[in-house]
Order: sequence, then structure tokens, then C-alpha cells
Amino acid sequence: MFDILSSLLKYIFITIIYLFIFGVIRLIYLDISSASKQKFVIKKNTSYLKLINIRESLDFKVEETYSLGKGVDIGRSGKNSIVIKDPYMSSKHASFLFKDGKYFIHDSGSTNGTFINGKEVKKTPQPLKDGDKIRIGQIDFLFVAGG
Amino acid sequence: MFKFLSLRRPINMLIIANIIAFGLLYFYKKPYDKLVLVEGLAVTALICVSYFLIIKKNMGDEYLFLVVAMLASLGVLMIYRLDQELGFKQIMWLVAGIVLFFLSFYFYTKIKFLEKLMLYYFAASILLFIATLIIGSNINGSTNWIRIAGYSFQPSELIKILFVMTIACFFKNSEQFIFKTKTLNLKWKLNNKEFKNKIAFFLIVYSYIGFLVLQKEWGTALLLFLIFFMILYAFEDDIKLLLLNGAAAVSGALVGCFFVYHIKIRVAMWLNPWADAAGKGYQITQSLFAIGAGGFFGSGIGMGKPNLIPEVKTDFIFSAICEETGIFGGIAVILLYFILVYRGFKITLYTKDLFKKLVALGITLMFGFQTFIIIGGVIKLIPLTGITLPFISYGGSSLTSGFIALGILQALSKESYLGEEVIENAAE
Repeated sequence: MFDILSSLLKYIFITIIYLFIFGVIRLIYLDISSASKQKFVIKKNTSYLKLINIRESLDFKVEETYSLGKGVDIGRSGKNSIVIKDPYMSSKHASFLFKDGKYFIHDSGSTNGTFINGKEVKKTPQPLKDGDKIRIGQIDFLFVAGG
Repeated sequence: MFKFLSLRRPINMLIIANIIAFGLLYFYKKPYDKLVLVEGLAVTALICVSYFLIIKKNMGDEYLFLVVAMLASLGVLMIYRLDQELGFKQIMWLVAGIVLFFLSFYFYTKIKFLEKLMLYYFAASILLFIATLIIGSNINGSTNWIRIAGYSFQPSELIKILFVMTIACFFKNSEQFIFKTKTLNLKWKLNNKEFKNKIAFFLIVYSYIGFLVLQKEWGTALLLFLIFFMILYAFEDDIKLLLLNGAAAVSGALVGCFFVYHIKIRVAMWLNPWADAAGKGYQITQSLFAIGAGGFFGSGIGMGKPNLIPEVKTDFIFSAICEETGIFGGIAVILLYFILVYRGFKITLYTKDLFKKLVALGITLMFGFQTFIIIGGVIKLIPLTGITLPFISYGGSSLTSGFIALGILQALSKESYLGEEVIENAAE
């Protein structure tokens, strides 16, 4: 009696496990396809960096926009909040600070330097205003102030 | 109303699978035992309640628990079929594991200073190691168990989690570290501190591995090294250090292969188990016979002879699953682990904070490599090392520590989801 039951149910059991896996994968798929649509949305009243270079001309991964939040580090090493594998960038290149409603940038001892509108920035934080052009490594960013 | 019965909801599939499994177990032995049905009902109810709690309380990723619940129910089914008494114990451990899962979720979200405790993690691990070496008892050739009041407990399971935390602490903030010297050679002044920190960090990592080697736990030692190496690969810029560690590991493995009796046997039995199929290669050949006997759909639960394999309830449970549910069952188990590891990587990528990222990555790698090492071992893909299959193998320490790690991952997934929500709200 048990033999027949077991040999019949084994097909059902395996089918059910696969249906379970299918169900999980399907839900994950729906989850991803809805999440990826919102990836590049930026809040209206936050400041962000916009890429000026044409993305296809760079042979490393870089996004169109980077949100600045409460201040970020930028560099080649995986420890920074913005990681860009640009060979002309130092492992810890520059930092953005947020103080009294304004953004400041300072260089973190990089080899090739950080520039605002062509002027080099040293270790002392420099204030940023809307439309400033920031050059880090090979990349040009446009600073867009929120508000 | 009927929406709840839809085949598209994975939780319903889980319930049906459990009903079939425990129904079969009820008919398995002649004096029908009603207790089996009660236990099965309790386990299924517990899983459902936990799952709905995770969804209702918005505790982050819902698939992690679902997949692990499926794996754990498969494990309970197999162990119950192999040995009724141990099956009952495993159910108890599963209940304890789920409670610990919620506890570790709660504590991880409440306690905020976990990233500053590097030396405490290390000290705790060393204490556990020394305790094992002194009062540990010897089971199956390795001294890795502590017996307290009739319960034996395997400290290395807990140490795996502590190891991940230690590494994460180092990468987050190496400044909390021992060496804060500013003196010494002027020429090296800039790089020296960082360099010395790294050396000390490697010493810590290798002392973990060294203690495991002392206890003859080759599998866990290999697992910890793989986690460490992968994290180093992902977060360390200096490729020389990576190569150095790789070279050290390879030379260590070669020395082990030629001079350590245990490893020599394992490698020989991996290359050709048929040379001594009745003696030293008995375990692996029986495992291969079992997998082969299963065929596509297996012999059916309770119809095979997996009891012939030594250690079938712990290390070789995958062979038993393959024999009784066939290669399709085996592939399903591997697919479930794939989903688990995939979710882990997704959580890692979405987490912003470096410490949390590393903890998530470490735990994910722990599950992934542990599965790879033991399944690879029983199917003779790599030399066999005895570690447990996470969430399926019999064993209280393995199951509960797995659930503790899962609770941490769940807490991290909640935080990474919160990060996403901020962006979503901003879009409106």
C-alpha cells in the first residue's frame, strides 16, 4: 500500500517543488522589472551630479547621474560611496560635503587633481553653485543644485 | 477567497508539499503514529505564521525565508524518514531556529554599534576555539564538539558568523585596530600604518584558519578561507595581496596533500574511490551508488536504501535526497540554493553602508560555498570534506546558526529596502 502511494506521489511531490521554485522566480522577476524602472529617478529638490561626457566614449562603468545626499566620497576604490573605475582617478579622489544648505568639494590627495570650471581645488573645501563644471579624472560632471 | 488557493503563490506550494511529505511519513511505518501528523501540522503552521509575519511587519525580503523554509522542510522529511527519533529532534531544532531567526533580526536592527566590536568578536572566537580544544570531545576524528548538560554543540558553526563580522569590521574601519603607532621609519611613514594593519588582519584571519586546522576541521577551514579570499577580491585594490594570499593557500593545500594523512586519504579517495571501495572509499562509493540508483524521479520516499551510506543524516543527506526524489529532486535543491544566494547578492548590492554590505556578502558567500563544498564532495566533484549542508542536514548547531545568519541577512534586506523606498517617495 505504502509502495504504491510513495511511487505515485513522488511525481507529484517533485512537480510541486518545481512549481514552488517557478513561483518564487516569477515573483522575483516581477519585483525586478518594476524596480528597474525607477532606477534613474532623482528627487526634484536634491542636488546631483550630471555626466557631461558621452557615456559610450568611456570604457568603464559610469552612470548618468549621481545623487549627492548628505555628502559622498568619490574614487576608484570600492570603499567610496561613488565608485568609478577610471584609470585617471585616484583610489580616494575627492569628497563632497553638505554644510548649512550648501555643497562643498575638496580634493583627498589625488594624483591628477580635481577642478571646478578649470580651477584646481586643493584640500580646503570649495563651495559649489548650480551649473559648476567639475572635472575628476577623465570625467566632467555638471553640478545641479536642488531647490 | 480562492485567491489564497492559487497555484501561483509559492507558500501554497510549500503547504501542499508539506502535506504530501508528512502524509507519506504517516503511512511509512506500520503502527501508524498520529504524532507525525501533529508535528507536520505544527511545522507547516509555524512556517506560515512566520511568513505572514514577515510580510505584515514589512521585514524586508520575503523570499529568503520562503526558500529556506522549503529547504528545511525537505531536510526534516528526509531525516524523519531515515530516523524517526532524530527527525523529531530536528523539528525541535527547526522551531528553535525560527525563534532565533526572529531574535537575531530584532537584535540586529536594534543594536547599532556592531561595527565597532572587532576585537570582541575575535576574542570570543578564540575563547570558543580554546574551549573546544580543552573540553571538546572527539566525534568522528575531529575534536570539534562541546558537551553541555547532555547537548553537544559545535562552536565552529557560531565562529563562522563571528569570522564574517570580524572581516566586515576590519574593512569598515581599520582605524579601530591595534596599531596606531606614528613612530618608526620615516620613509615608510605614510604607508606603514596601513600596511601593518593589513599584516595584523591577515594574522587574525589565519589564526582562525589555524585553529580549525588544529581541530582537523578541513571543510570549515576551507570555507573560511574562500569567504576571506572572495571578500578580499571584491574590496581590496592591491592585487599583490590577493596573489600572495592565493599563493599561501595553494602552498598550504599542497603541503596538506603530501604530508597530512587525513587529507592524503581524502584526495586519493577523490581521484579513485574504487581502489578501496569496501574500506576507505566506502562512503563516497555508496553515495555514488545511491545517486545513481535514484535515476530521474528517484525511488520514492521511503523506498530507497540510503541508510547504507555512513553519515547519511548529516554530510551525505544530499545523496539520500537524490536517491529518493531522483536527480530532479537534487537539481531542485541546488536551484533553491541558487535563489537564496542570488537574493543575498541582491541585498549586498542594494546596501549602502560598507560594514553591512560586507556582512551581507560574507553570509551569502558562507551559504553558497558551504553548499558547494559539501554537494561537490558527495558527488565526487571535489575532495570530500565533512561539513553540513545548510538548513537540510541534521544538527542543532548547524541549523540554529544558519537561522541566526539568515536573521541578520533579513535585517540587512529590510534596511536596503528602506533605501529603495526613499528614492520611490522622492519620485512622487
